[in-house]
Amino acid sequence: MKTAIKIFCAFCVITQLTSCVVVKEYEKVNINDPDMALSDKAVKKGESNALAYREAASGANGGKTGGGCGCN
Amino acid sequence: MKSTFLISFIFFSFAIYAQDTIPTYKKRVLETTEVDIVASYYSQDGDNAAVTGGRGTEELTDFAPSIIIAIPLNADDVFTIDAGVSAYTSASSSNVDAFDGDTADPFVASSGASGSDLWANGVFSYSHSSDDRNKVWGAKVSVSSEYDYFSLGFGANYTYLFNEKNTEISANANVYLDQWTRIYPEELRFDIENETDFEDLDPLPNTNRNSYSLGLGFSQILSKNSQASLSLDLVQQEGLLSTPFHRVYFSDKPDIFVENFQLGDDIERLPDTRFKIAIGGRLNYYINETFVLRTYYRYYTDDWGIDSHTASIEVPIKLSSKFTLYPSYRFYNQTASDYFYEYNTALSTDDFYTSDYDLSKFTAHQYGLGVTYTDIFTNFKISKWGLKSIDLKFDQYSRDSGLNFFLISTGLKFVHD
Repeated sequence: MKTAIKIFCAFCVITQLTSCVVVKEYEKVNINDPDMALSDKAVKKGESNALAYREAASGANGGKTGGGCGCN
Repeated sequence: MKSTFLISFIFFSFAIYAQDTIPTYKKRVLETTEVDIVASYYSQDGDNAAVTGGRGTEELTDFAPSIIIAIPLNADDVFTIDAGVSAYTSASSSNVDAFDGDTADPFVASSGASGSDLWANGVFSYSHSSDDRNKVWGAKVSVSSEYDYFSLGFGANYTYLFNEKNTEISANANVYLDQWTRIYPEELRFDIENETDFEDLDPLPNTNRNSYSLGLGFSQILSKNSQASLSLDLVQQEGLLSTPFHRVYFSDKPDIFVENFQLGDDIERLPDTRFKIAIGGRLNYYINETFVLRTYYRYYTDDWGIDSHTASIEVPIKLSSKFTLYPSYRFYNQTASDYFYEYNTALSTDDFYTSDYDLSKFTAHQYGLGVTYTDIFTNFKISKWGLKSIDLKFDQYSRDSGLNFFLISTGLKFVHD
């Protein structure tokens, strides 16, 4: 739990340091590249489902967090 | 002069009013209906089946096709249907009824009906975006069913973008109300000693499994070429969190074999609550027109004693304007649950025990390779549907505890003309 809080705080600090940077809409060509998306592609649905069954950890990736299946 | 001023004032007032009421152009959230058809074939093998108490074949195959349809209801609203089935055959599940076949053996599949099943799932979601596209809220309902498990889920989410859409915060809440149908290992269904059905002993009085989750998200554009996100998920689960047909063998009880099969001493027993915390971070970097770097890390902990680290890296390589290659690597490790015991090592005096190796200590490595064909002009058409992309992905996963699986996934994306 302590490790989780430390990681969360560290990330918040890092992102706050850079949040003064404002990238204008016309400068977001590279950011808008489909491969830059901060989510998984639909084709990874089967993979994330399989991992939810085979591993104890889940969540924080946009996939299953628990419930909805007889998985871990 | 006075009248000129008055006319000018009235004209100017109307002009301002007109400016306010002229409908401004608003880009649609989703231009047209999109359909994703996804299918995966999964095949695993290992020697630590939980159904046979941590020793036995884990051979399993699964074919899971699904369709995701996103329909723009108007400029602001999108309705999405995600429906799929998963048809699997499992050697270990067949050994719930181990004495159906010719030989009872934990490393040989039985011929019973429990060796295959069909899981069907549907998620119906709706999202609404504000006129300035800085606020998005949504809701969803999900339902899934298989022979011994039924789930009903509800969820809501809210996203707020600011800092010229460079920063995004989001929150989501989900509730799953699940129900088990209790199926016990064949030899435990009738208690010879007490001359009564196992069911009558009320071994698992609660068949509900309720899950409540709260998710928080934060994402930030860091530069013209990089962006990052942080996710936090808190999950509380209550009810029947064990699997009724998982066997456990006690070291302080005599081992009784029929043919090659050891009769189970008990089913797995696990606490009726579990609290999970997962924190994940993504960092994506656009290196150049050919390479993109995608990284992910997650720390997970729960009150069953499991700590886990997940790290992955993917480097999309644009071979041309239409073909992209996706090599990837994923590392995963976890500590064992406080309630995990290897085959035949649990004690009958303990309150909780399981020999499910998915809750054991292990390290896993996963290697993936995918390829995507993209045609932004959708030149290939079927009726009024244009093919936008084709995905093909292969993954190989191996654990140091012996379990391996491979997965082949395909995806087709169509857009309506």
